[in-house]
Amino acid sequence: MHEMTVRAEPVEGVGKLTARLKHAGSASGALMMLIVLCAVFAFSTENFLDGANLVNVAVQSTILLLLALPMTLIIMTEGLDLSMGAVLTLANVVLATVAVNTGGVSLALLAALGVGLAFGLVNGTLVSRLGIPPFVATLGTLGAAQGLALVVTDGQSVVGIPASVQMFYSGAFLGVPAPIWIAGIAYALFHVVLYHTRFGANVFALGGNREALTLAGVRTRLYLVAVYVIGGLMAGLAALLLTARISSGHPTAALGMEFDAIAAVAVGGTSFEKGKGWLLGTLIGVLAVGVLRNGLNLMGVTSAVQVSAIGLLVILALMIDAFRGKQS
Amino acid sequence: MTPPHDPAAPATPRVPILELRGISKRFTGVQALDDVSFELHEGEVHMLLGENGAGKSTLMKVLCGAHTADAGEFFHHGKPVVIGGPADAQRLGIAVIFQEFTLVPYLSVAQNIFLGREPRGRLPGLVDHARMRREAQAIMDQLGMTLAPDTVVATLGVAQQQMVEIAKALSQQARIVVLDEPTAALSDNETEKLFAMIETLKRQGVAMVYISHRMAEVFSMGDRITVLRDGKKVGFRMPGQTAPDELVSLMVGGKVDMSYSRTYCTAPGEMALRLQGVSARSGIQDVSLEVRAGEIVGLAGLVGSGRTEVARAIFGADPIAAGRIEIFGRPQTGGPTQARRLGAALIPESRKAQGLALIRSVGENLVLASLPRLFPRGLFSPSKAAAQARELIARLRIATPGPDRRVGVLSGGNQQKVVIGKWLSAEAKLFIFDEPTRGIDVGAKAEIFSLIDGLVKKGAAVLMISSELSEIVNVCDRTYVMREGRVAGELARDAMSEEAILTLGMHHA
Amino acid sequence: MKTPTLSSSAAASAQQNASGLQGLWQALPDPVRSVAFRLLALGLLCLALSFASDAFLTTTNLVNVLRQAALLFLLASGVTLVILTAGLDLSVGANVAMSACLAATLMKATGSITLAVFAGLGCGLLIGIANGLLITLLRLPPFIATYGMLWILHGVTYWFMKGETIHGFPPAFRAIGSGHWLGIPIPVYLMVAFLFIGVVFAQRTRWGQEIYAVGANPEAARLSGVPVKSRLVLVYAVSGAMAGLASLIFLARLNSAEGDIGEALTLPAIAAVLIGGTSLFGGVGSVFGTLVGALILTLVLNGMNLLAISSNWQPVVTGVIVVLAVFLDNLTRKGDRK
Repeated sequence: MHEMTVRAEPVEGVGKLTARLKHAGSASGALMMLIVLCAVFAFSTENFLDGANLVNVAVQSTILLLLALPMTLIIMTEGLDLSMGAVLTLANVVLATVAVNTGGVSLALLAALGVGLAFGLVNGTLVSRLGIPPFVATLGTLGAAQGLALVVTDGQSVVGIPASVQMFYSGAFLGVPAPIWIAGIAYALFHVVLYHTRFGANVFALGGNREALTLAGVRTRLYLVAVYVIGGLMAGLAALLLTARISSGHPTAALGMEFDAIAAVAVGGTSFEKGKGWLLGTLIGVLAVGVLRNGLNLMGVTSAVQVSAIGLLVILALMIDAFRGKQS
Repeated sequence: MTPPHDPAAPATPRVPILELRGISKRFTGVQALDDVSFELHEGEVHMLLGENGAGKSTLMKVLCGAHTADAGEFFHHGKPVVIGGPADAQRLGIAVIFQEFTLVPYLSVAQNIFLGREPRGRLPGLVDHARMRREAQAIMDQLGMTLAPDTVVATLGVAQQQMVEIAKALSQQARIVVLDEPTAALSDNETEKLFAMIETLKRQGVAMVYISHRMAEVFSMGDRITVLRDGKKVGFRMPGQTAPDELVSLMVGGKVDMSYSRTYCTAPGEMALRLQGVSARSGIQDVSLEVRAGEIVGLAGLVGSGRTEVARAIFGADPIAAGRIEIFGRPQTGGPTQARRLGAALIPESRKAQGLALIRSVGENLVLASLPRLFPRGLFSPSKAAAQARELIARLRIATPGPDRRVGVLSGGNQQKVVIGKWLSAEAKLFIFDEPTRGIDVGAKAEIFSLIDGLVKKGAAVLMISSELSEIVNVCDRTYVMREGRVAGELARDAMSEEAILTLGMHHA
Repeated sequence: MKTPTLSSSAAASAQQNASGLQGLWQALPDPVRSVAFRLLALGLLCLALSFASDAFLTTTNLVNVLRQAALLFLLASGVTLVILTAGLDLSVGANVAMSACLAATLMKATGSITLAVFAGLGCGLLIGIANGLLITLLRLPPFIATYGMLWILHGVTYWFMKGETIHGFPPAFRAIGSGHWLGIPIPVYLMVAFLFIGVVFAQRTRWGQEIYAVGANPEAARLSGVPVKSRLVLVYAVSGAMAGLASLIFLARLNSAEGDIGEALTLPAIAAVLIGGTSLFGGVGSVFGTLVGALILTLVLNGMNLLAISSNWQPVVTGVIVVLAVFLDNLTRKGDRK
């Protein structure tokens, strides 16, 4: 392994500054895009800057945030979870069915979390124990979850969601909408775990240098499984918000949402290699995607086309990243 | 270059901190370690020498628990112990500093030092960052490092990353540290710092196993020397009682004639390669050199001086930022495809990673660079390809039953011949060799040199990079010496000697 | 990290020791063995199905199976080349959707079949080239680039279809998908033709050899003068073009087009390639293997239909098969990875 030793040693202390700048750089790219998007929509539509609309954007983004947070971790470990949308959909129909039959929230939520846990375990095991590349493994589980959602509902929607479920989306506490509480707590938890616990340091290491972890005596396989399990559980939790929001269980409710989550993470600056992660960036990315969808909605653009726009946004973000990478 | 070391420090009869007795390790088809016995004392720097494949890296892996020995015993302070895995090695205080670092790029120095052992915070699961930073700082102060513990490792240079590795080892209360060619990628300044650190560790009584290929270091830093060859321990010496030649002959086995004789080129032909003021982002600056048909021109220099980068720039594998490259008078401005078309060939440093498609057959690899030439209209004929392959196999005497054998199962020397054969098939006239005999046993080395000689005798031109000074001196008609990305000088045949090359390649105090 | 090289003599003597049939089997080169194994599996599958259901061995059913397999093979053949380079094309389904919708729209608007055919093929090809450029110029990992492309195409298709369905195409066009000649469906002739073309391209042209080399070791290929970027764009372009062709057949068969047709084809296409023995790690596999894989998958799904298993289970089964195929691939290639 030859490395040219011609460059001068970096001055002590500058390393820290450079690191901060680098992080700020990727985040500032995302922030800039968010601001530009807001500006564009503020000009091209009447209602975008409306207070009610902005709150709406924030509330609607919470479900995506719940998916994007674990997706950040998964992507940091050089993985990907393509099944999140389908698992969320399956959890949604399961939760709806149980809620309708029991009339309450608790069992329904447990069932949804169970679904998420099960798929998370399957994904994690496929990736870590069987060594199957994550996108193939989760592509497979995507198909499975999608099929199961159709099997469970027989193609029909589940209606008659009890109010105890619905209040998780429409209710408020101390004036702040319930979903924002849930998303906020989730974000705080993820922040603490990623930056202040051993678990978080291990997640960085899983992507950055897995060998180092093994040599340090850490059971890397377990952590890899854990990361996907967290993804599954969060999908289960998100199902609560989703079911409350659409007041039903629908077999295609959230198919494709993983794309939004991946896009949010990518726009936020978490790169697809080397264990680099930026939780705040993911939050900005989620807002960016939310603003994009909301703005296009206000302009009367259909959902399918919105997805194309998100795709272009991601490509733009990656190009900016690549460009900045070339300059450094 | 380095502070003088007192070689008259004999091994006093005391219980060694670590003793290996009869350690053996076998992989499929290869006895990597064969009944190796070895003593390590506190506070000593024990040099471990050996050619590639001698067993040094396997020994390292066994010591740190990455592999388990098949046979033999370990004794720690005289008591028998077992090293069954990394945890055992850690408990015994053994740490290995590999050439490929075990650092996580986007964590801080402190986090890397304490990876897997972070100090607990107030709530369960939380990490006490303040304490981690303090303790990391303490260790770094001990070693004389001036980095801030919060620095993100990805921003550090190679030398500093290595120091973080050593700090990591120390933080694990390592009393036995194995260093694998630690100065390979360091500049002189950085090497001095490293040696100072090693002296500090010695004073603290830490025992070190130091793997090196550099005779200067072996004699200046080593307290005792062990030589491995083909998995066996073939020699044990004190630095004051031996000399580089003896060590080399132990490494190589018997009195091997290190000089390879050939008739040197007296009348070079046309200009095959010409660089003028070439600079690249890979680190080379203002490089100018020439190679003519019929010559073997050497490109010497310490590891990290930019030789491979020059080779890659010539071949178009890396882009250049300034300067001009001409191959047989034609400008080379593109990538490898253009270089090939102009008649250039690159036999890369790492033949398995860069020179061969290991899962493909010998025949498929042999024709890979000559597909457009052999099949100009596009249709590929397996019989024609096989015929060409067989011709090359015969001409180069590649040891394979036939062209259909997977190239991955061939020995190193034969794999190298396949790479050379690939370019012969492409009718190349300018050959750039990057460490042509690395990882090849001695018998095959002579064959390779004979092949290279044959090439220039038929009118080709050769630029040869080698870290073996004796190879350069014996084989090349003249040589350039690189130092820190620039051409430090050129030596003609009569001025070429190992000392002259070393002097040019090193910094003057 | 150094790995010890096997002595060739050990391997050679192992071969000498095996005798008779076993020796014959071991003497076959890996690719042949891999395909033979799969043909055997195919045969056993047919046998099992003929026992499981009376309706299996009927002409109608078998012709139907062939027709389905043909469509799948045509799509999967392009994907084979992509996977041979250790890449992936997740956008083929969306490509089919968009190309079909474009062709349908043009056919309705102008009545010209020729125009529609060119449009469909051209659209597929352009999408493929776009994928190739994203991967080579922007250096995006293939699964990310094609995954993003998938969603972009999805959106664009929905946009110009405006949620409507187009149906009713001229009989001459429909013949491509539903027609027969000498009792055999037209798509099957196309399948045979492209099997031939595919095998020749992969095994008997120098571009095919280069593609295998790129998959086996892209850096070594590059340093041997192979124009790796061009070859990568080529394989994605071919994958796209084949998706364009598949879209026409699909359109002709369904006789209608709407925004989401063909999207469910991506997973089965990849499954067919993997079942056929092409490795995700690149450098190993064959177009003929993909044909066998397409047949096996189609038969499995056909069997499920005959046994009246709900079609909702089909993606589940396909997913499981993909996972199994990759797992096996992993086991076989473990020795190759350093």
